Amino acid sequence: MEILVCIKRVPDTSENEIALNSAGNDIERDDLVYSVNEWDNYAVEEAIQIVDRVGGSVTVVTVGDDESEEVLRREMAMGANKGLLLADDAFAETDGRGIATILKAAVAKGTYDLILTGALADDGAGQVGGMLAAMLDYPFASVVNKIETVNDKTLKIGREIEGGNQEISEISLPCVLSIQTGINEPRYVGIRGIRKVASVEIPTLAAGDLGLDAAALAPKVKRLDYFVPALGKGAEMLEGSTEEIIAKLLEMLKAKGGLK
Amino acid sequence: MAQQIADRRDVDFVLHEQLDVAQFSAHEKFEEYNRKTIDLVVSEARNLSIKEILPTQKIGDQEGCHLENGQVIVPEVFQRLYDIFCEGEWLAMSEDPQWGGQGMPRTVAMACADYFNGANYAFMMYPGLTHGAGKLVEAFGTDEQKKLFLKNMFTGKWTGTMLLTEPGAGSDVGALETSAVKNEDGTYSITGGKIFISSGEHGLVENIIHPVLARIDGAPAGTKGISLFIVPKIWVNPDGSLGEPNDVVCTGVEEKMGIHGNPTCSLTLGGKGQCRGLLLGEENKGMRAMFLMMNEARLLVGMQGFCCASASYLNALDYARQRIQGKNLLQMMDKDAPAVPIIQHPDVRRMLMTMKTYISAMRSLLYYVGFCEDMKHVTDDEAVADKYQGLIEVLTPIAKGYVTDRAFEMCNLGMQVYGGYGYIREYPQEQLVRDCRITQIYEGTNGIQAMDLLGRKLGMKKGKPVMDLFGEIQATIARAKKVESLQPAAEAVEKALNKLGEIAMHMGATAMSPKVLAAFAHAYPFMDASGDVVMAWMLLWRGVVADEKIKTAKKKDQDFYEGQFKQLDFFVRSILPITIGKMKAIQNTCEAAVEISDDAFGGK
Repeated sequence: MEILVCIKRVPDTSENEIALNSAGNDIERDDLVYSVNEWDNYAVEEAIQIVDRVGGSVTVVTVGDDESEEVLRREMAMGANKGLLLADDAFAETDGRGIATILKAAVAKGTYDLILTGALADDGAGQVGGMLAAMLDYPFASVVNKIETVNDKTLKIGREIEGGNQEISEISLPCVLSIQTGINEPRYVGIRGIRKVASVEIPTLAAGDLGLDAAALAPKVKRLDYFVPALGKGAEMLEGSTEEIIAKLLEMLKAKGGLK
Repeated sequence: MAQQIADRRDVDFVLHEQLDVAQFSAHEKFEEYNRKTIDLVVSEARNLSIKEILPTQKIGDQEGCHLENGQVIVPEVFQRLYDIFCEGEWLAMSEDPQWGGQGMPRTVAMACADYFNGANYAFMMYPGLTHGAGKLVEAFGTDEQKKLFLKNMFTGKWTGTMLLTEPGAGSDVGALETSAVKNEDGTYSITGGKIFISSGEHGLVENIIHPVLARIDGAPAGTKGISLFIVPKIWVNPDGSLGEPNDVVCTGVEEKMGIHGNPTCSLTLGGKGQCRGLLLGEENKGMRAMFLMMNEARLLVGMQGFCCASASYLNALDYARQRIQGKNLLQMMDKDAPAVPIIQHPDVRRMLMTMKTYISAMRSLLYYVGFCEDMKHVTDDEAVADKYQGLIEVLTPIAKGYVTDRAFEMCNLGMQVYGGYGYIREYPQEQLVRDCRITQIYEGTNGIQAMDLLGRKLGMKKGKPVMDLFGEIQATIARAKKVESLQPAAEAVEKALNKLGEIAMHMGATAMSPKVLAAFAHAYPFMDASGDVVMAWMLLWRGVVADEKIKTAKKKDQDFYEGQFKQLDFFVRSILPITIGKMKAIQNTCEAAVEISDDAFGGK
């Protein structure tokens, strides 16, 4: 099975002190530590496991700039067979629809049976997978937490739905799936894997190579503001040592009838 | 969230800006390790450390290790962790790929070790000692022994240990009593008891390979009659399959102040007369072989201590930024002034500054020793290789003895920054203090390190390694003098270096005179002063690099480089004057400590 996994280089939230930029419409990105989007990492692991079972290859693709190459190489060190970097100044300011358009053009350059994305990335929009499927006219399932290969035409997929229930569906290939964390346990990257990809050339495609017109990628959604919400009514931050906080919390739960 | 274990910016600074470690990729041996690969390797070492190793630190400390029916039970979480660690092939990072190593420059491996050990060094002792034991097999083993043992050790399939100490032979290894008798089949029957054996027994793997020091019957007394043997826990047949248990029995596990996650075992060898060993290297040449491993182990111990300090610093820094307590001193009289984060208090800043300064300098020193190892391997010029080997040897007692002393002090400060919470088990600081403490004692106490520096290293090869070290320091001073803003610091370091040269001559001469005991009573302060000067050298070197980089730096990097200048200023003006005073005291070479009679110590 030929699998394409769309990945993104994102600020590592466990690492960074996030600060707003001076315009107040984004975070200060200059000095951040970046890594691969967590959801995408699960998607790559899933793809590697599928290929281990049924054969084929995994290609990781990202829309970004030169620095994005590091996440492609990292996922290749993890076990993806090929990498593809889509980089062009015209891609920099685009929106979710634009990203899906770029990815669609990259999909047309290959023959993929299955396309995976992470369910979400740092912007929390969760939109690219669905839009990409629509543009390709492929079937789509979101927030997938289980994949079984039935045959080379069909997959069985699982999703967690409202109330913690599990749903299992059948989906025809080729298709696009957005992957939920927890679907597997992503492997760690070892030194041997890193050495293997150390000198691999990763091809880069620009707008022209993909037959894309910069005008078509102009964003139609623009972020206006970005801020930390003020504490609302009824919200209270408990302060003190952990023991003190626990004691206060227990007291409040008891007082409001949550604990008897 | 704040960074943990080791500041990545600082790790990258030492690797790429101070030591330019990617230069080694120009050599065939290290060609895979270009900048991108190095960054990826360090990122993944860090990733594994933060996500998997660090969460086991406290659990390992609390669960500890126990002896149950002859079996040592180690913290349960270590099994999965050990398997993941070996799967990633992190155990023998800089060893020959032929034997399961990854051929990485030692300097890069130092950066990985920085994260691994800072995350949980009690755990890291299992792979760490395995690596050291493997190095012995690699250096002194026959082809057959290498085939039987080496790959299985470097890949972590089997672990390794180091069996030197006996109840009557601690610092004086030459007093050991474990005996070896040659059998007809060429193996040796080993009989004796060993104590303080880290990772001496556990069930993480199917076999444990013990390098054992023993005396062959009839061999001379003292260190000249000591031989080295490979003693497997389970006998290994010539075809590589496992045979019978080899009569190596764990009789006890010590209750310790720290590193609870690693069992410190007492082992009885040949209690039933059934323990066999294979001679490793030549008969009666065991000590020389063991020194190879001990030197590596000493550098590892320096790293262990340092990592506790680095982790403690980042914890303390984060805590000081968040903990609100007391008003800013400038607003003391304003009764409505708000309480502020404690990082605003001058005494807390003094502690953080001290920690930052020493940790920067110690990181540079430890990575530099790795760098010397790499320089040795990439040169074809024997004289250059000798120079770097000499530098490693002269710096080893400092990288172990001085570094672990300072590391412990830094852990102590890290606890102090937390106030009362620092003393409480809920917070990580007290464990770091406890874990760090042993690094001043094992692998040769720091007193032994000081004697090594004075008695062996100072006069070795007619003083050439020491002169080479002085030459390297002078080269940095010369670079710094070309930068106007660094001139005062360069002059202060030069003054301290010149004074150290004077003291070294004095100590060398005194050690050869009738005042030899007084000289050795000052070996420790001499190591301390030498270490201070090496710290000053590293900080000055950092300052020179920062000066070159700051002009074109981004905002966050500007802060980082400013930190380099401030810590240099702090060391030069707040610490180096004390060093000069320490050197004056050494010059006095007061004989009171050696002249006082045993009875005059009192207490009787």
